[in-house]
Amino acid sequence: MIKVSNLSFSYGKGTPLLSGINLEFDQRSTAIIGQNGAGKTTFVKLLKGLLKADEGEVTIQDRDIKTETAAELAKTIGLVFQNPNDQIFKRSVLDEVMFGPLNIKLDKARAREYAFQALKMVELDDKLESNPHDLSLSEKKLLCIASIVAMDPDIIILDEPTIAQDHSGKEKIRQIIKTLKDRNKLVMTIIHDMDFVAENFERTIVFNEGRVLLDGDTRQVFSQKEMLEKANVEPPGITQLAEKLGFKDTILTVEEFINMK
Amino acid sequence: MKKIIVEGLKYKYPLAEALALNDVTFHVEQGEFIGIIGKNSAGKSTLCQALVGLVPHFYKGAYGGKVIVDGLEVKNRSIADISLKVGMVFQNPFSQVTGSKMTVYEEIAFGLENIGIPRSEIIDRIDSVLNLLKIEQVKNHNPFDLSGGQMQRMAIASIIAMKPEILVLDEPTSQLDPAGSEEVFQAIQSLSKQGITVILAEHKMEKVAQYCDRVLLLNDGKIVDFATPEKIFSREDLEEQGISAPVYTRVCKALGVKKTGTDEYPVTLEDAEKALRGRVV
Amino acid sequence: MKSISLYEERASFVHDVDPITKLWYILFAILIPIILPSFTISFLFVGISLVLLLAAQVIRKTIPVFGFVFLILITVVIIQGMFKPENETVLFQIGPLTMYKEGLLYALTITLRVINIIGAFMILILTTKPSDLVESLVRKGMSPRIGYVISSVFQIIPEMMSSMGTIMDAQRARGMETEGNLLVRIKAFLPLLGPVVLGSLINTKERAMALEVRGFNSQVPKTYLYEEKKYRYSRALQIAMLLLTVTALAWRIFL
Repeated sequence: MIKVSNLSFSYGKGTPLLSGINLEFDQRSTAIIGQNGAGKTTFVKLLKGLLKADEGEVTIQDRDIKTETAAELAKTIGLVFQNPNDQIFKRSVLDEVMFGPLNIKLDKARAREYAFQALKMVELDDKLESNPHDLSLSEKKLLCIASIVAMDPDIIILDEPTIAQDHSGKEKIRQIIKTLKDRNKLVMTIIHDMDFVAENFERTIVFNEGRVLLDGDTRQVFSQKEMLEKANVEPPGITQLAEKLGFKDTILTVEEFINMK
Repeated sequence: MKKIIVEGLKYKYPLAEALALNDVTFHVEQGEFIGIIGKNSAGKSTLCQALVGLVPHFYKGAYGGKVIVDGLEVKNRSIADISLKVGMVFQNPFSQVTGSKMTVYEEIAFGLENIGIPRSEIIDRIDSVLNLLKIEQVKNHNPFDLSGGQMQRMAIASIIAMKPEILVLDEPTSQLDPAGSEEVFQAIQSLSKQGITVILAEHKMEKVAQYCDRVLLLNDGKIVDFATPEKIFSREDLEEQGISAPVYTRVCKALGVKKTGTDEYPVTLEDAEKALRGRVV
Repeated sequence: MKSISLYEERASFVHDVDPITKLWYILFAILIPIILPSFTISFLFVGISLVLLLAAQVIRKTIPVFGFVFLILITVVIIQGMFKPENETVLFQIGPLTMYKEGLLYALTITLRVINIIGAFMILILTTKPSDLVESLVRKGMSPRIGYVISSVFQIIPEMMSSMGTIMDAQRARGMETEGNLLVRIKAFLPLLGPVVLGSLINTKERAMALEVRGFNSQVPKTYLYEEKKYRYSRALQIAMLLLTVTALAWRIFL
């Protein structure tokens, strides 16, 4: 769905934030991990057309994104920002979610329908008329996800969706990612929560100092202990436990661990 | 010695209908490292803020019961008085930067200037906390130019410089990456080892299990339990309380493997490894 | 770090002078030409300010400011030169336009006044750290709260500007067109205002709490990390300026 070749980016003349990125994305759900400053956010902003690359090219569904504005790309690729307060500005939950669909020129009835469906998915459909600012931070984050989902893009990128979520909030995010995957969307997520990565993503890409350090099936990535250490990434707790106990295979979830026994 | 005494604390925010804290009672001994856990809106932040006097002095609202920190009754003292005894670090590293100082060094001085510490002592204290929190190398940087982990350590340094005997932290690492959050936890642990009483509200259960002496579990503004991490995470009703145990505890629970000689499940990587060694594979 | 402060770090005696004396100088440079409204005095003060700016090695930084001021002053010269009601003596004519002596002289007075005031302020602004200025004022008895507000503005506004960029991106990500003609841009601006204002309100509340727990409202007399900036000749300079002002007043009244 996305093809990235030889992508590089730097602010002004400083050291490059990203250099020589070559990646192809299919429909596997993908986690992007690495330390702050490793280039993760810069990378997704480039995909989204919010930044322009110095070098290299990105094609999304065979279209070169250079020729399109961020607004035009919005129909195809959606990005949910980390901080919901950077986005929310409408007076009601429903209006907030309809903003995107109306921007991409859906008629009002369809926009409403899509918005409603998206809100149902994040379980905020009982709060259509609430003021978004009265929601809790974790609800606001769900609202922002809905406002992108309502535009029905083929690719959805989430930036740190699990921050500020408690146990039940995380469960909701897990469900949302699963539902989107079932609808054949490519879900890409920048995330620091390794346990969540292990349990929910098929593919994991590790960024380090502006380059792709590791890329592959999540299991294969988390089996490379030395490389992960280099990127300052700790494998999930359960993986570490299994490794300490001398399990031969890389374990990603509690269920796998129990079944191995 | 009892460092914190909370008796029958009830609190309702202005305009709110429900009590944010409902009949909360607990005591903390000097030097303890206490974790506060619970689902969102269980009352964790409110309780933290009640220990430094932001509740009720900053918000107003309806307040009952009493909170005594290091001998001071919070209700009858100003936040400035209490700040000499109890320091507080918040979630968002950005919004804690005063914005009126040009360097990390000056930023740390802010609180000390306010409470009237003599100049030569200000300098001594800054040098010592820069060293303690390992941020000497950035002391001349602009506070806004730091990484999240550094900024949060600067926030802790600024508070510690005021020499409080109790340190309250409200999810101090929720906005940091794993490396930044590890830096902060290391720093907190070293403060705890120096005898400072630490109260930490936190979502990361693995960290709570690893660092805390006792854990206070809140739900709907009430205390559900206050006990060792092993005891808390061995409870059968965690799902109902809206939290999940550390992954190590979950796996041992599923396998029915308890900590040797106890009726509790392991909560840390090391303990789980010990308990499971020989039992599996 | 971007800051909206115009302060230029240099080693010069002008930089060494304490902020309060520089404030005195501003007052002095404004008062004397009012007391003694002659061209000689005005030129003298403009000259002094320029020499001080040169000595402080910050004259280059004044160019854009003076450039902007000149642009406005030119319109003053043209309007006064041509249309001032007292205009009588024709100086020269360009086509249908006539310039009069009275208007031009008046415009010159205004020009000198403005340059003089701006010059005096520039000395303060370009050679004094904002935080030093605020600290001196707080030491002189200004409320530390007001001092805090003034000095935080220098840093928090640039912070707000950078969060504006993120907010803009968040709306573009939802398909809002921000590139294009003026109308598109203006329409794009509105959805940004909400999050910017709200975001800073939320931050303000959090920041207020963070300040409280750092003893911001402490009743204890405040101390300072830095020793008060003192200049050896501050007292002398201040007394000299005071004496000169009194002399000027006396001159004006009795002669």
